[in-house]
Amino acid sequence: MARGGGRRRTLWLVALGAALAALPVAAPSAYALTLFNIIGLYAIVTVGLVLLGSSGQVSLGQAAFYGIGAYVSALLAKDLGWSTLATVPLAIVCVAGAAYLVGLPTLRLADHFFVLATLGVGIIVNVLMIQMVPVTGGASGLRDIPGLGAWGLRVTTDRQFYYVVWTCVLAAVLVARNVTSHRTGRALRAILGSEVGAAALGIDVARYKMQVFVLSAAYAALAGALYAHYVRFISPSPFSLYASLFFLVMAVVGGLTNIWGGLVGAAAVTVLDQVIRAEMPLVFPRVGGEYQTAIYGILLIVIMLFFPAGLVRRALDLGRTRREADGQA
Amino acid sequence: MLALLPQLVLTGLTVGSIYALVALGFVLIYTVTGIFNFAQGEFSMLGALICATLLATHAPLALAALAAVAAVAAVGAATERLVVQPAFGGHPLTLIIITFGASMVYRGIALMVWGADPYALPEFTPGPPLILFGGVLGRQALWAIGLSVGVVAALFAFFTRTVWGAALRACADNAFASRLVGISPRRMSLFAFTLSAALGALAGIVIAPISGATYDMGLALGLKGFVAAVIGGLGSAPAAVVGGYAVGLIETLTTGYLTPGYGDAITFLVLLVVLFLQREGLLRGARRRAA
Repeated sequence: MARGGGRRRTLWLVALGAALAALPVAAPSAYALTLFNIIGLYAIVTVGLVLLGSSGQVSLGQAAFYGIGAYVSALLAKDLGWSTLATVPLAIVCVAGAAYLVGLPTLRLADHFFVLATLGVGIIVNVLMIQMVPVTGGASGLRDIPGLGAWGLRVTTDRQFYYVVWTCVLAAVLVARNVTSHRTGRALRAILGSEVGAAALGIDVARYKMQVFVLSAAYAALAGALYAHYVRFISPSPFSLYASLFFLVMAVVGGLTNIWGGLVGAAAVTVLDQVIRAEMPLVFPRVGGEYQTAIYGILLIVIMLFFPAGLVRRALDLGRTRREADGQA
Repeated sequence: MLALLPQLVLTGLTVGSIYALVALGFVLIYTVTGIFNFAQGEFSMLGALICATLLATHAPLALAALAAVAAVAAVGAATERLVVQPAFGGHPLTLIIITFGASMVYRGIALMVWGADPYALPEFTPGPPLILFGGVLGRQALWAIGLSVGVVAALFAFFTRTVWGAALRACADNAFASRLVGISPRRMSLFAFTLSAALGALAGIVIAPISGATYDMGLALGLKGFVAAVIGGLGSAPAAVVGGYAVGLIETLTTGYLTPGYGDAITFLVLLVVLFLQREGLLRGARRRAA
């Protein structure tokens, strides 16, 4: 049974990989390809957030880690002329270190203090991005960031970037699956159930929470660094609190503890966002800006009240019950 | 350098008194229900904007303000009944995300109803400002400080002299034991949300003549209120008020003496430092027994 399940999973993965590899060829337009790339970037951040959710934590500072990753990698590549092969990992290491420093005092505290601390970090980082004009370029941002490249090969087109980013997505998902399916995963589920209970079983709660938090920040940094070298222009606005909320909505739609759900959540919410941006001005002509927050807020509340495991898991469960019912009939 | 100090302190006390009101509402809900209400700042925003709309219909100020406070109190009660109550007993994460969702809904709805442009509220009593120790104190600032002190005194009397106040305190102290003596924690939770929404609305209405009223004012106000409440230890109302004044002073002094843009960053840096110093167990009144 276990072996059969494993084989089926491998088949699934191969099929998914093939479908993803074929997608750009089938993509109807350049716009669709850009959308796939953005979804890939968001999916990496969301999977990190889901990892964090697996330990019963939620962060409202993911956009800050996403942004630090983008700025560090962009500055190293632009000002020092380093290869992106070095700058992206360095950005990830920097962010992981920053997350460690943030987690040190706050992870021991009750859930809401951790949320508040990550929220505070998000705001501090955003203020620094805007104010440290000599380094970050202030509100007008950084231009002419080099694209991804190594050994003479350069990633210049959307299609090339697609393969880079989705390889990273799959790697991120596989690492996350590994983390959540073995010893660490069992420990995390115990912590999710009850921190006190987990501690009583000899699980080092603080250490596991820290590891997952640092890993989730590293995911955000990877996505941020890729973003900087993809768009080749960064400014503080995409790394604000609003972006953190957006990532949270993606993770909640997918189910806060469901890794594959994170992928689906990122895709669903990104597409939804595009639809809302296109349709809403027709309904409410005089508003601009962040009116979508109302819809996302309702989405968060409804999902948390009625489908705490996320819409994806809910759909999977429905499918399974139906299959079982068919099997019995 | 020093000549600036009186002015900065007066301004700090003014905004601090508003933060104190927000923090009070926040602590009220937290001690009674154990919920971190991330939508607290939005109550202030709704209060200010509803009041501005009523004033536009030429309603007298006192009536408009009272009606706005009552309306927002109803919003607070509805929030508790519709989205908070059904999630009682769930994972703490669920409630955090739900109150955050509620704050996003209010902000989005406010943007749709009132648009992005700021609304101006008139000062309660227009007139020349006072000069105190070489600093200027506007009349509206006096209203803000006076009202916050008055509300704290009224709340203190309410908590110590009335049955409802005692019931709220009992529920905050031990929800299970309160049920044994016939106090319904659910009803107290509804009451706490209603009262703290009213407090938030009042804060918004008082600050609006100074800062203007916009759909997104709640976010900053709410966050400063949280910081104030956390500095105060989250357990007691007087400490939250002190925390509010502390945040107001820190904010104006840093913007006055350091570069202006860093004000928010420093407030939250203080928050991180306070969280770091608190650690586990040091936080008195934050540990709660389950109902």
